[in-house]
Amino acid sequence: MPQTGNIISGLVKDPGGRPVPLARVYFTKSPVPLPDIAALTNDNGEFSLSVPVAGTYKIACAAEGFESTVTEVTVKSGKMAKIQIRMKK
Amino acid sequence: MAVKKKSPTSTGWHTPVSNDPEETVISKTVSKPPMEGVNPKKGKVNDDGTEAVKEYKRIKAPEKWVAKFLALPKGVHLRDIGEASFGIPSPKAKGVIATPETVIGADDRIQITNTSAYPWRVHCSLMITGADNSMWIGTGWFIGPRTLMTAGHCVYIKNSGVPGRDGWVKKIVVMHGRSGNTLPYGSVTSTSFRSVTGWTEKGDPNYDYGAIILPTDLGNTVGWIGFGVYKDSELLAATGNLSGYPGDKPSGTQWYHARLINSVNSLKVFYDIDTMGGQSGSAVYQIINGYRYAVAIHAYGIGGDATVNSGTRITNAVFNNMQAWLV
Repeated sequence: MPQTGNIISGLVKDPGGRPVPLARVYFTKSPVPLPDIAALTNDNGEFSLSVPVAGTYKIACAAEGFESTVTEVTVKSGKMAKIQIRMKK
Repeated sequence: MAVKKKSPTSTGWHTPVSNDPEETVISKTVSKPPMEGVNPKKGKVNDDGTEAVKEYKRIKAPEKWVAKFLALPKGVHLRDIGEASFGIPSPKAKGVIATPETVIGADDRIQITNTSAYPWRVHCSLMITGADNSMWIGTGWFIGPRTLMTAGHCVYIKNSGVPGRDGWVKKIVVMHGRSGNTLPYGSVTSTSFRSVTGWTEKGDPNYDYGAIILPTDLGNTVGWIGFGVYKDSELLAATGNLSGYPGDKPSGTQWYHARLINSVNSLKVFYDIDTMGGQSGSAVYQIINGYRYAVAIHAYGIGGDATVNSGTRITNAVFNNMQAWLV
């Protein structure tokens, strides 16, 4: 059974600090196999992804007009991990 | 008096479920073979069981049993175990900056641009709205006039831990044959979904499959892929083909890749086919005498001890549900 409460919450911003809506956010590395689905950021550039186990993950973000980024994040059991992704042109 | 033959009903964790208040699926005999639709402009296939896509060159990997005995070149930093299975990297791969994990070895996916032609037009870009209004992208594919197959987690979110997110998704915008901003067949919104209790109640990845029912019979125009149940030996000798909508590529573009099936168990198929987030739900299909037959529904990338991607195998139970969901 997956552990509950393991959530990665994030915010995607452009170089000027403005939110990036409809950016695609997906895992590229995880301690266990994950569904091959990608999240889209909302109008505020926000997203939240759940993971089944604590551990270290890599999250990629892609959006038109920006270089793709990869961010490493460590999730502790039952905790929410927050990240901010700053896209580059 | 003629007796109508009853379709077998799957049971146990393959018990089918629906979000519709009343079951509106009309049982109908639909052929398991593929249908190419109207004016298919059908793409050719290669003798090796892959699609004949211009400029696509399948990287020649050593046979699986040989790969185990190949030594790694000194000084080469291997990013993941998947690269070791292919022995010495090809010249194309040398110097490539580490690729995302679910892309195994060198990234030799190729973009499909003639998505208005069969078979590419049967693959659909999905824009999914969750119960909490979160948004996701995935892939689906036609199996009949109004039915698309996809991953269970594309139609029913499970164990998210996010308040209000779990359960049937609110809607899915289906864009078949999409190529970036080009929608050769427009788009259609569905609010009618199917899955099985093994996914919706148990959240078991072995039962991660579902269907999207469209309000219109667009499949009669674009065609559909066949599907079937195959023995282990047949799958292990097969080349898996996969075309879908990965999130790491320009938005809404369709990308294709093919590799030999790596391994199977009773419920899943494993393969080295490159995928990325957004391709959940893609068909994993083989080409038999020029005709395309799905063998699995792509669902998971690699991670942890898993060095290959995987999909839900089309078993007899899955096949029965797919037939029952045809409208």
